[in-house]
Amino acid sequence: MIVYNKQLLDNEVLTDEADALYKGGFISKEQKKFIEKELPVLKSQKNILVRIGFFLLGCLLFGSICGAISLFGLSAENTFFKICFYIFAVVGFAGVELLANQEYHNHGLDDAFILNALLCLGAAIGITTEGYEMVIAFFVAVGALFIFLRYLHVISMLVFCLSATAFLFFGMFEFGDIGKAILPFTAMIFAGVFYFLTKKMLNRLNERYYYNGLLLANSFCLVLFYLSCNYLVVRELSAELLGPEVKPGIDIPFAYFFYAFTFIVPVLYLVQALKTKDRLMLWISFLAIGFSIYTIRFYHSVLPIEVALTLGGIVLFGIAYFSIRILKEKESGLTFKPDRINHSDSLLNAEALVVASTFGMKPEVKPQASPMEFGGGGFSGGGSDGSF
Amino acid sequence: MEKFKDQSTLHLFEKGLITENQFEEVKTYRSLKIFSLNAELKLFLYLSVLLFTSGIGILIYENIDTIGHIAILSLLLIVIAVCFFYCFKHSKGFQKSETTFEHPVLEYLVLTGNILTCIFIGYLQFQYKPFGEHYGLATLVPTIVSFFCAYYFDNRSVLTIAITGLAAYVGLSVTPQDIFNDSNNLYASQSLSYSAVMLGVLLVLWTIYSQRISLKAHFGLVFLTFALHIVSIATISNLTGYETLTWILFALILAGSTYYFYKASYQYKAMSLYVFMIVYAYIGGNIVLFRIFENVDFSDIWELLIFLLPAYFIGSIIMFIKLIKNFHKEIAE
Repeated sequence: MIVYNKQLLDNEVLTDEADALYKGGFISKEQKKFIEKELPVLKSQKNILVRIGFFLLGCLLFGSICGAISLFGLSAENTFFKICFYIFAVVGFAGVELLANQEYHNHGLDDAFILNALLCLGAAIGITTEGYEMVIAFFVAVGALFIFLRYLHVISMLVFCLSATAFLFFGMFEFGDIGKAILPFTAMIFAGVFYFLTKKMLNRLNERYYYNGLLLANSFCLVLFYLSCNYLVVRELSAELLGPEVKPGIDIPFAYFFYAFTFIVPVLYLVQALKTKDRLMLWISFLAIGFSIYTIRFYHSVLPIEVALTLGGIVLFGIAYFSIRILKEKESGLTFKPDRINHSDSLLNAEALVVASTFGMKPEVKPQASPMEFGGGGFSGGGSDGSF
Repeated sequence: MEKFKDQSTLHLFEKGLITENQFEEVKTYRSLKIFSLNAELKLFLYLSVLLFTSGIGILIYENIDTIGHIAILSLLLIVIAVCFFYCFKHSKGFQKSETTFEHPVLEYLVLTGNILTCIFIGYLQFQYKPFGEHYGLATLVPTIVSFFCAYYFDNRSVLTIAITGLAAYVGLSVTPQDIFNDSNNLYASQSLSYSAVMLGVLLVLWTIYSQRISLKAHFGLVFLTFALHIVSIATISNLTGYETLTWILFALILAGSTYYFYKASYQYKAMSLYVFMIVYAYIGGNIVLFRIFENVDFSDIWELLIFLLPAYFIGSIIMFIKLIKNFHKEIAE
């Protein structure tokens, strides 16, 4: 099923490992270079900027090919419109196959063709069925799964997860109001079942080709599980789907369950992540905790925003400071020492960028127009409030 | 994941690509089962600084008339003094090379102290106008303070604040969200574009100078990144201007900066510089191409052009792949 040469895929893993060992200081630079020379690999781009650049170029190329094809169809307007997206999707899939034969993998160009092909597939089905969402979601999910299995494309696994979830949701809508009312619980059960299913598959996996995709699906289930019964999501979605039923003074049904869920699940994730040393789960739990705080502040203004920010900053600082103090001297297990092999500080590199965008100084607008522009405009940090 | 990692190390060993010693070393290291929270906790510290200073900023902004000014100012001053007291106490003093604090928290204290100082000066100017109507001066003082902090404590985040301050003094807003949205309106005001180019040149010259006297050479990349984006965006937004002379001038500037940053990215081995340099050059090149042909009448052969377009993009892709490959080869050595 996999289109790539397995030898090359294995080599890819080995050179990655060599790179990690080199960065950890276990092997020398010459050795790393020798390994890279010994083991030929697929054409892929590790640098995310380069990959995005090639992705954009690939999109331009795809668009221009589609434009050239459209020239032929201009005379037969309506019939062409009905089938054009099928043609574009075929162009996309053909392009992917061609690129895969040229040994492009995670290069940016193949990303462009894959995502555009899936998009065109969805649009084509949408035109044929006149926008029947459930069928669109089904076909996109099948297409994405096929791409993942054949080209080991992790992003299309994400597309698969999203469209499969969409399929479930639109399927529930078919049952009318009852389906909409039990949607949170269905999604929760669905996510839970698939979490354990993917977990099991991950543990049984003997070859690592599908590892990353399965891991993504596994994490997606965690996120879906949390979001499915989050109070904010449930309340807003039910208002959207069932009409504005929540009157002041009355809460949604099972409100206590949803509140409890919103708080217990992130904590559970956090504990479980620290126990099993699962970094992905740890990050999901951080985000979930943040979103839970946002949920509360969305409905109950406990504190004015500025006090909440200041106090939140102090509390967070305290947590971080004491955790560092406790973990600083530990040599194994949970520690503050940077890991020699698995670095995760790529995030910290973006730090300066965030500082520049939040606290960068701006030139005062003409003084006569607004003499108070300085202190207020430059440092209020107002733009960043929403995200906290 | 663990089992696959161990497996690939074993494979490397079996293929004779790493020695037995190295293999054993890796194995013992892995058996420690290290789970490092380094990045996460640092991120927390960093978030806490952002939250705290944002909170203080809004607090002052909202209550500017209710709490006593003296009370706010003295409170701010105390916090700033505490921050800087700890920083100075633990710092190793000024050094020309890269330095780090023993304790990671201090780095974030510097950032807090610096941002609060900026708020303090801004508030002072708003309330008491010590700089009178010289609003430029009110920007310049925090900038100088930030530069001092950045160089003394060796802090990159503070350095970016300082550079945005310098640009603000010139009249430019170079925070990432503004520079890409063109909220400076460079297209409308040509003089601002000239000052942007001048600022870029200044930053480059300063980088070259500090490289030569080896003063905080690792800051070079930050300066160059700002310079590249400022100059390129200023020139590209002027390429579409009406006057032939102007756009030709800016095209030449862009060509010059592209050449310089091409060299610089090899020198610094910086992929980010290289990629953005190419992207800007490509956009600029296409605009220039378009301007050259804008007076030619293509209405009879436009279909042919659409057929040529895919070929054009394929050509560009091949060119980019070559460029990137070259770069990888060069920096590997």
